[in-house]
Amino acid sequence: MDSSVLAAIDVDHLQVSYGSQRVLHGVSLSVAPGEFIAILGSSGCGKTTLLRTIAGFQKAAGGAIRLSGRDVVNMPPEKRGMAMMFQSYALWPHMTVLGNVGYGLRLRGLPKEEIRARVASVLKMLNLSGLEDRKVTDLSGGQRQRVALGRALAIEPGILLLDEPLSNLDAKVRIQLRSEIKSLQNRLGFTAIHVTHDREEAMTMADRIVVMDAGRIAQVGSPKEVYDRPNSPFVASFMGAENTLDLDVRPSGAGVEVRVDDSTATALGADVPVGHVTAYFRDDIASLVDPHARIDGSIVLPGKITQRTYPGGHYRYVAAIGDRHFTVTDDRYHELDRPVGLRLPLASLHLFPKTQTTGGHHA
Amino acid sequence: MARPSFFGLLLIAPALAMICALFLYPLGFSLAAAFTEPGGGLSLMHFRKAFDLYSTDILFTLFIVVVSTLLTGLFSIAIAGILTLGETPWLVAALRALYRWPLFIPFIVAAQCMRTFLAKNGLMNNSLVALGVMEPLQATSFLDWRGIIITFVWKQVPFVTLMLAGAMASIDRATIEAGRNLGASRIRVLIELVLPQVVQTLLVGLVLSFVTMLSVLSVPMMVAGSQPTMLTVDMAFRINSYGDYATANALGVISYAIAGAVAWIYLRHSVKREVQA
Repeated sequence: MDSSVLAAIDVDHLQVSYGSQRVLHGVSLSVAPGEFIAILGSSGCGKTTLLRTIAGFQKAAGGAIRLSGRDVVNMPPEKRGMAMMFQSYALWPHMTVLGNVGYGLRLRGLPKEEIRARVASVLKMLNLSGLEDRKVTDLSGGQRQRVALGRALAIEPGILLLDEPLSNLDAKVRIQLRSEIKSLQNRLGFTAIHVTHDREEAMTMADRIVVMDAGRIAQVGSPKEVYDRPNSPFVASFMGAENTLDLDVRPSGAGVEVRVDDSTATALGADVPVGHVTAYFRDDIASLVDPHARIDGSIVLPGKITQRTYPGGHYRYVAAIGDRHFTVTDDRYHELDRPVGLRLPLASLHLFPKTQTTGGHHA
Repeated sequence: MARPSFFGLLLIAPALAMICALFLYPLGFSLAAAFTEPGGGLSLMHFRKAFDLYSTDILFTLFIVVVSTLLTGLFSIAIAGILTLGETPWLVAALRALYRWPLFIPFIVAAQCMRTFLAKNGLMNNSLVALGVMEPLQATSFLDWRGIIITFVWKQVPFVTLMLAGAMASIDRATIEAGRNLGASRIRVLIELVLPQVVQTLLVGLVLSFVTMLSVLSVPMMVAGSQPTMLTVDMAFRINSYGDYATANALGVISYAIAGAVAWIYLRHSVKREVQA
């Protein structure tokens, strides 16, 4: 990010407590104007608290929140001038679509005709034209969330906060709204912070992803960066690398030698940490090879096939390596109980010193 | 389905018998008595007498109850609003602990308290004089229509607030935050976003309060002087002083009619909302 441009949102050592329990431990985050940030984390990690504190619904115990350089940490929510979309839509059931979408404009004292005209253009943008006088209780879930988006966008906010707005929608509508929000953001150029626990949603929508863990930021980076180069076991397993394998890496000549369970060893030349490490990896990097194969840059674990399914396009196998089971896809047909080698390219493994391991789990 | 309905009837029979014996029979009896002349024929003579003697009191009763209901509504909205939207934790906690107390005080005790509080040399005036807010000569007694209204409002606000604050607490909190997020002050959020979502509960509370205040005898009797006074006092007076049940019954029917009119407004409103929904 260009540091000469004033950040749209600058969160500086933000601390938040619920009573005596601290939930945000000095979070710092800078968001450039027009950037789309996704905050990703499991339940209770503090991601919604961070968003609500930025919006002003939660009081900060310390730190600063600057919007284009202006500190708003003690400002009430109505003065902060951002718009927010809520998980529950939060539409006002006693108002029509026009009433809901136009409320922000009404608060700004716009004349009725102008409100109507601007609401009509917002609704057109969201494919809701002609629904102005419909009660919001008569709309479908997808339509309601579009109205909520329209209500937020009608005031032409510089910043849009999204608090898991898509999680109550069915899969098809969710994917559709995902791309609609993203393309609207490209068109209108607002800065967006999107809180979600859906990894794919964060990956597809955001310019940068913020992974949170226990009230702290675990990693910030582009989707590819966070996905391919997680900086901790937590981020690795949160981004889907949920299989773990203990390795013993020793220097050997020009490269290193990797031992797994004292049985298999493959030598290679690669830049990896040395010592007892835990490898985190996704199912999709594994492939099936001959159990006795020696492939440079990869480790091969001997085992046998215990299960085969055909989900379409390729076969899906469960390979037993000792007492552990891994899911692996392969184009070829293999018989059950056939001895196979599970090939794991070392470059695709996320390796962390063993002491850091925080209970990875089996595939 | 004959068996379940028979058992159902058996289950509600005691309650039904109580209602018939203690409510419907006396109600029918007093209605009949109100419309019956001494000879036994149908007549409106008791109503004529009731209107001749007590038309001022009918208007007075209506005035007291309507004003008290409106004020009860206003105070309840304010207190429930602070409980729901307040951001000063100690103030909200203190209000939450305090506002319910009058609920547990009977009308007659409330009336007695108000007598000592609102009298010319009562606690209120004495305090104001002691604080230097007012000269002793300016002190006047509030023990008239104002005293009745103050007592009624003091007694009914907790009841309506209890219902209203409960309803406000159960609406989706995000609908409040969405309003503030778009720039609405808390007072606008209360009036434009919260209140319309709980108006049905407010209406129920106010209708119940209206009917309760219409039927209270002790407060007008103890707090205010004898003229003008409320219909309950007039009814008690007709019966106790003259044994004139017929006129008392006619006054009772007028009270029913007032309460019925309010119930009708409420029903019409709730039916309209149901049709809309």
